[in-house]
Amino acid sequence: MNSGLTNLETSMFYLTIMAYFLSMIFYWVWFGFKQQVIGQFATLLAIVGLAGNTTAVVLRTIIAGRPPLSNGYEFILTFCWGIVAVYLFAEFRYRIKPLGAFVAPLPFLLLAYIVMKMGPEERVAQAIPPALKSQWLTFHVITAILSYGAFAVSFGLGMMYLLKSHYGGGASGKASSRIPDLEVLDELAYKMVGFAFPFLTLCIITGAIWANYAWGTYWSWDPKETWSLITWIIYAGYLHARLMYGWKGKRAAWMAVFGFVAVLFTFFGVNYFLPGLHSYAQI
Amino acid sequence: MTEKSDKQGKLWELFSSMKLGLALLGIIAFVAAIGTFFPQISQEPDKARAVGQVWQALGFTHLYSTVWFRLSLGLLSLNLIVCSVQRFSGIYRRTFKPLPPESAAGVPRKIRAEIEAAVPVLRQAVERVMPAMGYRLTTADKEEMWTFVGMRHRWGNWGSVVTHLSFVVLLVGALLGSALGFRGYFMAAAGEVVPIQQIQIEKGKVSEDFSVRINSAEDRFLPNGERDNWYTDLSILESGKEVGRQTISVNHPFTYRGITFYQASFANGARFTADIKGQKIPVMLQDQGGNYFQAPGTDLYLIVAAMQGGSGQAAVMFQVYKGQGSQPVQTGQLTVGERADVQGQYQLTFDGSTAFTGLQVKRDPGVWVIWLGSALLLVGLMLSFYWSPRIVSGVLEMRSAGQGKLILGLATGKSGGSRHADFDALVGTLKERLTSEMATEEELQ
Repeated sequence: MNSGLTNLETSMFYLTIMAYFLSMIFYWVWFGFKQQVIGQFATLLAIVGLAGNTTAVVLRTIIAGRPPLSNGYEFILTFCWGIVAVYLFAEFRYRIKPLGAFVAPLPFLLLAYIVMKMGPEERVAQAIPPALKSQWLTFHVITAILSYGAFAVSFGLGMMYLLKSHYGGGASGKASSRIPDLEVLDELAYKMVGFAFPFLTLCIITGAIWANYAWGTYWSWDPKETWSLITWIIYAGYLHARLMYGWKGKRAAWMAVFGFVAVLFTFFGVNYFLPGLHSYAQI
Repeated sequence: MTEKSDKQGKLWELFSSMKLGLALLGIIAFVAAIGTFFPQISQEPDKARAVGQVWQALGFTHLYSTVWFRLSLGLLSLNLIVCSVQRFSGIYRRTFKPLPPESAAGVPRKIRAEIEAAVPVLRQAVERVMPAMGYRLTTADKEEMWTFVGMRHRWGNWGSVVTHLSFVVLLVGALLGSALGFRGYFMAAAGEVVPIQQIQIEKGKVSEDFSVRINSAEDRFLPNGERDNWYTDLSILESGKEVGRQTISVNHPFTYRGITFYQASFANGARFTADIKGQKIPVMLQDQGGNYFQAPGTDLYLIVAAMQGGSGQAAVMFQVYKGQGSQPVQTGQLTVGERADVQGQYQLTFDGSTAFTGLQVKRDPGVWVIWLGSALLLVGLMLSFYWSPRIVSGVLEMRSAGQGKLILGLATGKSGGSRHADFDALVGTLKERLTSEMATEEELQ
C-alpha cells in the first residue's frame, strides 16, 4: 500500500511541476497578448497545480506519519504550496492577474531545482532525528511557509513596480500597461509584507521555543537563526521607512525585492554555505 | 545650568530619533551577518581557534559576545525606551482623549465625503450609525456647528509602543539569564551518580548542591528500524535521598528546582573492573575513545577503540597509551568476563556493555521574561498590522432653514489609504439611513 501511495505522490509531484510550468507560460503569453481565454487557462493551471501540490503534501503526510516538513524536498514542496496559495488569494481578492507572470516562475523554479539537484534518495520520507520530533516543528514551518509565500508575492509586486516605473508608458509600454497602477502595486506589496511580517516573527518565536525544548537554548546565533533575524530586520526597516518616512514607490519596491533575496538566502544559502544546528536541513 | 539642560536636550533628541534606531538595527544586522561567515567559538570551537590570530583578537570568532555588539544592543534598547516614552502621552491622548476638529478645515481632506440633509436627521444618523459600526464617538457642540471624531480599533494605537518595548523585555530576559543562570553538560553511564557541582560548566556558576543518578539510558528504536529517541531515566538525590525521578528524552526535558535537564547525546560504552594491587576500581568507558581511564599511580591511559554485539556476547577492543605517546603501547580484545594484564600494572576485566547519556543542564531564570517579551512582540505586531485604528472625524455645519452639511473624512497615515473600503461602507450606511428616515418622515407627513 505504501509503495502505491509513494507512486501516487511522485505522479502528483510531476503533475504539479507540469501545471506550474504551463501556468507560467500561459501567464507570460497572456501578459504579452492579453487574450482573455489564455489568462483563464493560466489561472486554471495554477489551480490544478495547487491541487496536485496539496495532494502530494497530504500523501507525504500519510506516508511519513508526520507533517511533511522535515527535509529539503518536503519543505520546498510545501513552500511552493504557500507561494501559489497566497498568490491565488491575491489574484482573486485584488483582481491582479499580471502578478502571475512574475510569481509563477518561483514555484516552477523551486520544483525544477528538486528535479535537477535531488536524487530519489533525498526525496523519500526519511527517518527524522530525535530533535525534530516535536509539535513545534509543525508550527515553526507552517508560519515560515505563510510568511515566505507572502514575501514571494510582495517580491513579484516589487518586480512589477520596478518594471512598470522603468518602462512607464513608453513604446515598450504595451505589456507594462497591463500592469496595474504603480500606487496599487505599492499598496499591495505593503499589504503582503504587513501580513507576512507577524508570521515571520511567529516563525522565529516558535523556533526559539522549540530550540529551548530540544537544546536548552532559545537563541544560539546559529547561522539560520541569525539570517532569519537579518531578514526580519530588513523587513522591519521596510516598514519603518514606509510608516515613518513615507518611503514608497521605487525605494519600497527595491526593499521588497531585497527582502525576498534575504528570505531565499536564509532558506538556501545558509544550508549550502553555512553550517549550524539546521544542518539536518541539508538540501 | 541652561547649557547642561541644552546638552541633555540634545542627548534626548539623539536617542529619541528613529534614524539612530534604524542605523543601529542596520549595524546589528551587518555584524550578525559577518558572524555567520566566521566560525564562532560557541558553536565550532576547533574551527574558530584555527582562524588567524588577528581575527580572533578583533573578536570575529566571538562576535555576538563582544562588548561592541552588546553595546549596540544596549543602545538600541535605550533608543527604544526613549522613543516610547516620548510618544506615550501622544498615543494616550489619541486613544483616550481624542479631540473633535475645530472646523471643517480640521477634517482630513484626502478621503472625504459630504452629505446634505436636515440637521437633526444628520446628527442622529451619525450618532446611531457610527457606534453601531464599532466607532467610539466623541462629540463637541460649537457655535453654528457640531463636530465629532469616531475611532475604531483604538487599541491599535498601542501596537508600535508594545512592539518596541517588547524588545527591551527580551533583552532584560537575556541579561537575567546570563547574569543569574548557568549552562553545563555532563556525560555519565547508567548507574553513575553525578554531583551537580561537578559537571562541566560552560557559563555561570552552580550554587545548588544535589546529585543526579542515571538509573538507565537507552537508545530506543521503532519496530520499523528507525530511531525513536534517546531516553534517560534519572533521579535527583538530596543528601543521598531520592527526591525526584523522571524519564527524559530529546524535546522532553525535566526541571528540578529551576534547573532543567535536556537529553543531548548518547553513546554506547563498556563496564570494566580494574584490579590494581588488590584494589578493585569500577571503570566505565565510552565507545570510540569518548573518554579514558588513567590508573592511579601510573601514566597509562585506557580507551575503548571499538565495541561489538549486544549485552550477551559483547566484545571490546581496547587500547593503552603511555604518557604523551600518540601510538598505543598495548591493544587487545576482550569478551564479557575475560581479563587482560595491562603493562604489568593492573588487571582489567570486561564486565559487559553499558550506555552513556549526555545531558545539557541549564538554569535560566530569564526564560519566562523571554516568553513574555515574545508574547508582547506578537501582541504589538497584531495590534499594528491586523488592528490598525480607523479614525473618522467630521463637522456638521448648520445652514439656513434647518438644513445642514455633513463633512466627514478618514485620517490616513503615511502608509497610504488602504482603509477606503471601511470609510465607503460607513458613508454608504449613513446615506442609506438618511434615505430611509426621510422616506419615513414623508410617509408620516
